[in-house]
Amino acid sequence: MTDAVKPNVETTLVNLTIDNVPVSVPKGTLVVDAAKRIGIDIPVFCYHPKLEPVGMCRMCLVDIGLPAVNRETGKVETDKQGRPVINFGRALQTGCTVEVAEGMVVVGYTEKVQKARQDVLEFLLTSHPLDCPICDKGGECPLQNLTMAHGRSDSRFIFDEKIKLAKHVPLGEMIFLDRERCIQCARCTRFQDEIADDPVIGFEARGRSLQIVTYSEPGFDSIWSGNTTDICPVGALTTTDFRFGARPWELQASASLCTHCPVGCNTTLNTRREAKAGGEMVVKRVMPRQNEEVNEIWLCDKGRFAHHYAAKDDGRLTGPLVRRDGKLVAATWEKALALVAEKFEGAGKGLVTLAGGKLTNEDLYNLAGLAKARGGKALLDSRMAGGDLTAQVGLSTGSNLADLGKGDAALVVACDLEEEAPLWWLRVKQAAERGATVIVANPRRTKLERHAAFTLRYEYGHEAALVTALVGSFSPKRADLPAAVQALIRDKDVKDAGQAIAGAKDLIVFYGSEGTGLAESAALARACANLLIGTGHIGRPNNGLVAVWDKANAQGGWDMGLRPSADLAADLGAAKAAYIVAADPAGDSPALAEAVKAAGFVVVQDIRLSATAELADVVLPAAAFTERDGTFTSGERRVQRLHPAVPAYAGLRGDFAVTAQIAARLGVAQEKRLATGVFNQIAASVPAYAGLTSAALSEVREQWPVIGRGDVYYGGTTYDNKQGLGVQLPVSGDSPALTFEQPAEPAKFKGLKAVPVTRLYDRGTTVTPSAVLHPRLPGAFIALSVEDADKMKIEPGQKVQATLNGVTVEVEAHIDNSLAQGVVLAPRSFGLAIEGPCEITVKK
Amino acid sequence: MNALQTKYAKEVKAILAKYPDDQKRSAVMPLLYVAQREAGYVSRQHLADIAEIIEVTPTEVASIVGFYTLYHDQPEGKYRIQVCNDLPCAMRGADAFLQGVCENLGIEVGGTTDDGLVTVEAVMCLAACDKAPMFQVQDYENITYYEEQTVDSTLKLVDKWRKAGAKKK
Ligand code: SF4
Ligand code: SF4
Ligand code: FES
Ligand code: FES
Repeated sequence: MTDAVKPNVETTLVNLTIDNVPVSVPKGTLVVDAAKRIGIDIPVFCYHPKLEPVGMCRMCLVDIGLPAVNRETGKVETDKQGRPVINFGRALQTGCTVEVAEGMVVVGYTEKVQKARQDVLEFLLTSHPLDCPICDKGGECPLQNLTMAHGRSDSRFIFDEKIKLAKHVPLGEMIFLDRERCIQCARCTRFQDEIADDPVIGFEARGRSLQIVTYSEPGFDSIWSGNTTDICPVGALTTTDFRFGARPWELQASASLCTHCPVGCNTTLNTRREAKAGGEMVVKRVMPRQNEEVNEIWLCDKGRFAHHYAAKDDGRLTGPLVRRDGKLVAATWEKALALVAEKFEGAGKGLVTLAGGKLTNEDLYNLAGLAKARGGKALLDSRMAGGDLTAQVGLSTGSNLADLGKGDAALVVACDLEEEAPLWWLRVKQAAERGATVIVANPRRTKLERHAAFTLRYEYGHEAALVTALVGSFSPKRADLPAAVQALIRDKDVKDAGQAIAGAKDLIVFYGSEGTGLAESAALARACANLLIGTGHIGRPNNGLVAVWDKANAQGGWDMGLRPSADLAADLGAAKAAYIVAADPAGDSPALAEAVKAAGFVVVQDIRLSATAELADVVLPAAAFTERDGTFTSGERRVQRLHPAVPAYAGLRGDFAVTAQIAARLGVAQEKRLATGVFNQIAASVPAYAGLTSAALSEVREQWPVIGRGDVYYGGTTYDNKQGLGVQLPVSGDSPALTFEQPAEPAKFKGLKAVPVTRLYDRGTTVTPSAVLHPRLPGAFIALSVEDADKMKIEPGQKVQATLNGVTVEVEAHIDNSLAQGVVLAPRSFGLAIEGPCEITVKK
Repeated sequence: MNALQTKYAKEVKAILAKYPDDQKRSAVMPLLYVAQREAGYVSRQHLADIAEIIEVTPTEVASIVGFYTLYHDQPEGKYRIQVCNDLPCAMRGADAFLQGVCENLGIEVGGTTDDGLVTVEAVMCLAACDKAPMFQVQDYENITYYEEQTVDSTLKLVDKWRKAGAKKK
């Protein structure tokens, strides 16, 4: 096991020499890793520093000797010169399965070892197709590289006896298997089992017939599947998205961030100039970029595949549009901006800005600044609250989920963590494996429960009550608590979980948006903050509150002074002028579409023509995240920077620059040239960001395992991080008072109650443009309890009419046997009009 | 309760009772026997049912079926004649024997007779090297050894099965 997975490895140091170089490493380190730490490459195929060693491929054979110990004296024997006598075994050993020992001597340069490596490679190549010229891995292939370094230049096997196998086997729709290329290292199957906990691919048959199979429905049913293509040491696994798309050596690499969820995974965008695109630069693939404190070396498939919304296709806006005679027609920037400024001037304090949560801090800062200067409203397009609390009791500088282990605890409440923030699911699961107490509180079953020490169920609407009950389980009895809380306090599991939380060394509380609207979210965040304050788990690293935000940069939005609206429809409807940036309220809900129509003058700024843009008076285009510079603040409060990978359309700029141009016409001075210029202003005026510099964001430290282009054979094709690990913000330090609010009783409805839930693969505007994901995007659906489905005689998969907030949609009925009777799950971003718990009628 | 569980309720329960609750997956082997007994192979549906019973993925069950040569995931003949043609047996004429049996049954090695009664397969050492030509017969439930065989004796055996089958009808 690597110490990235298990940082509390024993710190006793062991001394040994590898190829004559003395080295001291912690006890328990494997020989291959010890060598890697001093820059000595022992070739491996099946070994991967993030996976348990299995010793399957024999590529890592080395000569290992141990000091001879005199049986009688127990002392190390020495030769005439006083040097220890070393006994080498007769056979070579696999460096990936042998742990270091005191005085060990490892030798990799002898002829015997070289010969062994040559032999293993020759065997691997007996039936390898060697179709490197058409193989996607060619150019970044461990088998290619290791053969060049250690292999023979010819083969003694007969070419005609090579076995021919299927070369295009779809394992599901996103990953293809080339059976001829597979060297049976089991990295992919072990990743799916050990890391992703989705053992949906496996080995079938034996020997030469061994092959990777999947029996899940759909095939390779895992949101982690893309990672297997990074660690597959050959071109046996490739993604539908990239295969036959480009040669690795033609690609340029540019540092970016995933903008789909609040984890903020570090990515590398691989780009190429392409004839197909008229000689333009195009993003060919999204690759993970190592950040052991954020995403390690992984990405979820949404982050990897849902990048096409930023592509320069026909759907992109390339110039301003102005409504003339009821139609949106092209206009010059000068005309469009002048019109916007004139209308905003006229609107006075009636200006409402609504900002999407995937904008950069710089965009949000200028937007908030403009609204404030005009006396208008600065709204954040999010249905979650608590950004003020996370700034006070959130994670502080020096936190790393990899540090959670024995004696620590993580509470995940109102959240389906794998769906809402996949990488955090992975990191919390690993914390559980290291011995941390994971407590999952959710009204229905979620995947994280498999690793939970406590699984707490509560009724939708009682999330704040549940957390308050956890506080109540270790604090003096309070008679004034509502009945729901009292009842939960009496629950044995709640009590035990409460004790575990109170006694935890470090505690991190994640709250999501399962079943909550804005009001419920505010109560929940408050209750979670109380729990942390009450147990003293604030103000130190690895303690605090993490909002599993519904938008990637919602934390940045709060920090820049924007707030979600308590009644967005009313705010928009009453706006004299609305400035909607990177948000699509009309697409989200029919009620909001009405509000947009009711607003006085509507300006929409976006990269594509959204449903809201169709209703606008002026549409301003902006550069996509792949085309610009800026910073994001993750849910762990880590400020990270993305860089432009491809040029924007002529004349298009980042959102902050467009806003600044409008502001200038209204007499408000804003930085409009450089994102870094805005960033410096943020550092100067937003307290939590005080003193931050672009240079600090770009700092890198040595990371383990060693990842990078020269080391693809070891950790895979993930990129090393040369462009910055980001900076985690300090918490404000002023510990908020324990203000106690009575958790409100959830609204009761006569009929069925619908609650909003989040699905990773939704039908939102940032997902649907990626065709590669289409087979995995469910249609609009609702989930019913077994009892309700029985009562209404609804079969799973049946089409039903669901009416929410006056809007009827045809949806597919699913059945969730962990749901309580009377509750219906309504997923967000599937065209259902749901913002918080509400009544629903279901008709066949 | 899925189909397999309903049909063999008692047996499945008895099997599961042998393993602690958190190690249900160990029951995969006996459950596969139960499934295979039905038609000589483990169907896709059986895979899914077993996976559900022991709380693993169907892929994991399929890997087990794929690993062991005596579990099958495709329907073949009711009797699988598994002839050893490993080196020691080959030296005692196993190859010619195998060819002879197949020719007389009108199939290739690995093939199944038209009436679906017999499949002939070549397998590795069955630890009866000194009694070659030899084979084992795997039917839906049992495995039986036949040693020092000739093409004739084998065809007689097949005839016996045919007649027994016809009588049943
Ligand atoms: S597909 Fe790749 S990772 Fe999986 S076993 Fe084959 S070579 Fe290894
Ligand atoms: S976990 Fe979140 S940030 Fe990371 S790749 Fe997936 S969607 Fe993007
Ligand atoms: S056996 Fe050590 S790397 Fe495969
Ligand atoms: S070689 Fe045929 S039984 Fe041993």
